[in-house]
Amino acid sequence: MLIFTRKVGQKIRIGDDIEITVLDIRKGSVKIGIEAPKGLFIHREEVYRRIIQENLSAAKSVLNSQEQFDDTKINIKKSQSAQVGKQSSGSQ
Amino acid sequence: MKIETTRFGTVEIDEDKVLRFVRGILGFPNDLRYALLPHKDDSPFFWLQSLDSPDLAFVVINPSLIVSDYAFELPKDAEQELELERPEQAEALVIVTFRPGENGNPAIMSANLLGPVVINVDKGLARQVVLDPNKYPVRYEFN
Repeated sequence: MLIFTRKVGQKIRIGDDIEITVLDIRKGSVKIGIEAPKGLFIHREEVYRRIIQENLSAAKSVLNSQEQFDDTKINIKKSQSAQVGKQSSGSQ
Repeated sequence: MKIETTRFGTVEIDEDKVLRFVRGILGFPNDLRYALLPHKDDSPFFWLQSLDSPDLAFVVINPSLIVSDYAFELPKDAEQELELERPEQAEALVIVTFRPGENGNPAIMSANLLGPVVINVDKGLARQVVLDPNKYPVRYEFN
């Protein structure tokens, strides 16, 4: 693992396209800005882990199980289909 | 085309109904082709069956059937990868997890609203999208 010491406002560059800036340091938290090419997967590690964990649980929960889940008891909401908005302005 | 599945045996599906994932569902990077199979007639559930692993399948549901106001901004990178040109081309499905109910009660069902699967219905492209964890729960219990 590479370890850098950086001050607020200083950057780290990874390859040609990825730039990481230390924006602020306060009370044990670091605020980091990331500039990276579109399509690169950038998320907080714990969010990423949480979704992987839930996907694994979901797959496992139905694997080989013979349960006929009762879908008659669900309160089906009477609304239009889910809206998926388009995001006009870019980055995270 | 015929596909092999652990749960349903051999299933015949239309080749142009195959969903091609531009990225694997998180945790399953090698499974990139899926088929959407109805659970039962008139059931709100579908099975998202992997064509690459016969034993991999997810139960999915249209989120608007369980949450009345589920809406999200699709991140721009996902929009591009899914080659979405118009909002009507996008459909969202959420993955359902079952947990055993206590004292013989029926299984608890929860939907992953944090990581919906978004499909370009015109092109058959799909991807799991990660949303803002402050707004969307990973386990939304709905039964």
